[in-house]
Amino acid sequence: MSSKARRTLLIVQAVIAVGALSLSALPAQALSPRQEVGVTSSAIKLGITLPMKGSASFGYNQLPDAMKAYFSYVNANGGVNGRKVTLVVKDDGYLPKQAIQNTQDLIGKDKVFAMVGALGTANNQAVADAVNLGRRGIPSLFINTGFSGFNNRSAYPTSSTLLPSYIMEAKMISKYVKETYADKKICLLYQDDDFGDDALVGFDKDHGNLTFTSKIAYPSLSQGVAGVPDSWVTKFKAAGCEVQIVFGVSTATLYFVMGAAKAQYGPKWILGSVGADVASINPATIPYIIGATSMSFLPSVVDPKDEYVAKFKEIHATYNSKAKFNSWALIGMNAAFLTVQALKAGGKKLTRASLLAALDSDGAKFANAGLVPLNYSKTSNVGYNGYWFGKFNSAGDLVPNDTFTYTVYTTDSGTGAVEKSSYSRPSMPAKGLPN
Amino acid sequence: MRTATFKSRAFAFISATSLLAALVVVSPATAAVATGPTCDAATPVQTCTGTTSDGALYEMRVPATFNGTVTIWSHGFGSNTSFPSAGLTIDSSAQIAPGNNAAVVKYLTDKGVAVIGSGFSTQGWNLDEAVKTNAELVGVFKAKFTDTKKVVAWGYSMGGGITQAFAEQHPELLSAAVVMNPVDAWDAQSKYFVDLLWLLKNWFDPSIKLTGYAAGVTGDIQMLQDIAKYTAMLQSLQASVATGAWPATSSASAKALQSAGIPSRSALLMVGRLAGISAQSSSFDGIAGPATSAVTAWPLAYAPALATLENISAVIGYALLGARDMQSKMGGVTFDNSTTNYSKQLSAADRAVYNAGFSGNTAIAGMLSTLNPLNPDAPRVKADPVALAKSKASMYQSTGKIKVPTIVMIGEHDPVEPAGIVQRMADLYEQDFAAAKEAAKSTNRTNGYVAPRRQLAVLWSVTPKTWSKFTAEGLPIPVAKTPGTGHTNFTAAQYTFLLDAALTAASTGALPRKLEVNQSLTKLKLTIDRGSAYPWMKHYTTN
Repeated sequence: MSSKARRTLLIVQAVIAVGALSLSALPAQALSPRQEVGVTSSAIKLGITLPMKGSASFGYNQLPDAMKAYFSYVNANGGVNGRKVTLVVKDDGYLPKQAIQNTQDLIGKDKVFAMVGALGTANNQAVADAVNLGRRGIPSLFINTGFSGFNNRSAYPTSSTLLPSYIMEAKMISKYVKETYADKKICLLYQDDDFGDDALVGFDKDHGNLTFTSKIAYPSLSQGVAGVPDSWVTKFKAAGCEVQIVFGVSTATLYFVMGAAKAQYGPKWILGSVGADVASINPATIPYIIGATSMSFLPSVVDPKDEYVAKFKEIHATYNSKAKFNSWALIGMNAAFLTVQALKAGGKKLTRASLLAALDSDGAKFANAGLVPLNYSKTSNVGYNGYWFGKFNSAGDLVPNDTFTYTVYTTDSGTGAVEKSSYSRPSMPAKGLPN
Repeated sequence: MRTATFKSRAFAFISATSLLAALVVVSPATAAVATGPTCDAATPVQTCTGTTSDGALYEMRVPATFNGTVTIWSHGFGSNTSFPSAGLTIDSSAQIAPGNNAAVVKYLTDKGVAVIGSGFSTQGWNLDEAVKTNAELVGVFKAKFTDTKKVVAWGYSMGGGITQAFAEQHPELLSAAVVMNPVDAWDAQSKYFVDLLWLLKNWFDPSIKLTGYAAGVTGDIQMLQDIAKYTAMLQSLQASVATGAWPATSSASAKALQSAGIPSRSALLMVGRLAGISAQSSSFDGIAGPATSAVTAWPLAYAPALATLENISAVIGYALLGARDMQSKMGGVTFDNSTTNYSKQLSAADRAVYNAGFSGNTAIAGMLSTLNPLNPDAPRVKADPVALAKSKASMYQSTGKIKVPTIVMIGEHDPVEPAGIVQRMADLYEQDFAAAKEAAKSTNRTNGYVAPRRQLAVLWSVTPKTWSKFTAEGLPIPVAKTPGTGHTNFTAAQYTFLLDAALTAASTGALPRKLEVNQSLTKLKLTIDRGSAYPWMKHYTTN
């Protein structure tokens, strides 16, 4: 035997010896191919960070339980490809630094497979930047924001948003207002950050082309400063505004409509999708918004004939029975419903990469309650791309009309036209379980 | 940093003396001939002293049980200006461990490890001089103790940069390195320092001189006058965090911003974000708020500005001493922001995350507009071409490349040496490591793949989850020495953990395996996170 061959044999013998030792010493799982973090043959662990307490938590803090309710229903019916889905929830108080820390903990300590349904423009920009989700290949699906910047695939390769972009929303509001309130004096209150700046793009002459008699940009948090909302009312009232668009957060809407009522300022209110739900903050304010216009991409939660609403309500009654089935429950359960489809489309050998690839290839075809199409593709991180308009009824619910017939608009974040949608929503799968 | 330095004190931190180091004169190095080593032959540890050929005082502690391994310590930044009445003195005494920490020295000598270091021949920005001194000192030690086999270099702050440069230039002398919160290459470090100094001067007190200091004592006095002005400015900003009032010394452009309703705290935060200083500090986490209605507004609108202020107070003395020292050494200003586009230095994430602290996008645009290079009310600094050429020809710029097994430690919110300095080293190393793996795969295709061993381990000193505290009335309470914040805010236990890893690396030629799963890390408030993404210094991202 040559020295080289002898050395090779010795190495082989050593490897066999070490291998035998390993076989006896290690659990079986260690010998299988490297496991994807957060997913095993029997479980998938997901994470979410959002405000659960504090002034920004109203409504949003109902989302996790609604999502869990749907996951529980799926788990009770065999799970996703045999895997039970769990959701780890962390409260960030709507603070970017806390959202960063929560996400780091969810990834590093809780070992979640993916983030899902996280809330907020700034928080998710902060997280993507500081936690480096893109480079680490960690999915953050169905983020609840409409900031158009998230469609930058190079900056956010693993993030996807659920809401139509704020540019789309402003374009659709422009069309609605011009058709409904021609020749009226239109005024705008908007938040002076990326959220509001996106809206300004949607309203500008190249997009929605809506002209304002008066507009005010309010810095975030200033809405809570005594005297500030009253100053808005004074200025808009003096300008003779007849239609008042509010593109701000719910607390801004709340203080604004209360100040307006006090000063007997009574315009036609158009409340943007983000800040319309003042009833969640204080149900006593419902009278202030009765008749106000807002928009949604989901059916009205009180629609008596919608099959998705009916099925989600039924599941909710079993798995989240202590909570009221409201628009937040619908949003949460719909997000969970989409998540289950994405996980399923990721395949039996589920990986973070396969999940992201599945969203790109199949995401636009996922069944869901939305009345507008989903927009996911290899070039788009954005979910819904349209809205229907409705008014708040005396119970504080947004309804399209008495007969619950929807006129749905769709558009893009560019200069494309706002058009009536011909989208035909897929039927609710049997038993509310995706195929 | 040496033994006593620019400690931040949250609220009482801003005074002229607290911004300056309380440096103790031992003796300025003057000798130009090597002496020693002269040893006392004491047992169980003998002490040897002497001077290197450039006059640096050195010291060696050599145990009777010397096992052939020696550590060489590089101390941090010291004042190169002597003005005792203002608390500025030059300390060139030999340093063999952080603050000559007796427990750490004993820890090493008890293991049979010799411990050496010098005070260097000059202070201030002394990277080139210090590397030469260290190389010579290693030779002196080996000549005296001929059974020396392994040399481990270590240092923090300026000394961290010296250690890294030493390893880059003389890998043949070293078996391992411990690099703690290192300075970056001068080009990057000076941009950080002078951006901070210039932005503060530009908005809050244009009468500050900053450049063109005279030589000698006259220049010392000019610099001290600047220190006094920065002190007054920071005190004014601290006093008006709640009201938003601007210092009376503010520029005309700044007063226009004030008239537009932009609070000074927003401008202060902007200075920090443009320069790249952390907006989390020892007292302010940007997460916790008082148990009042400000529970959300506080961490968004006030805490980032206060953290910036606390961090600036910790770095500004170093920044000014360093900038002035380099002007003296090079015979003129080497910093140049005549074409800098400061708007580009505000990242998209910062614009969103700190939006409330900035008072909104309109305020951001207004503040950035006053920093336009064409604004005559914001005169830029133009480098002296002769001084610039001299610096480029004579100063070594560290590359951050890893050439010997290296362990790095840094606080994630270090105000003097931002974590991005180390992030860049880590990112560059990951590229090199990936290339090494590919090369190994390629060359070992026939005999099987043998993975290369990592040469770099980065230990991040991290903060608790939250650490800000408030009185029952909702007022913030100063918090000292929060882990992960402050400059060289390390413990003896952390030092010895790193040293043990480095000694293992020196012995085996590779870093210990599975350092990241070491149970001690959590207890030591350290973490290894290869997914970290601290922003690089602005020099690399905007130039």
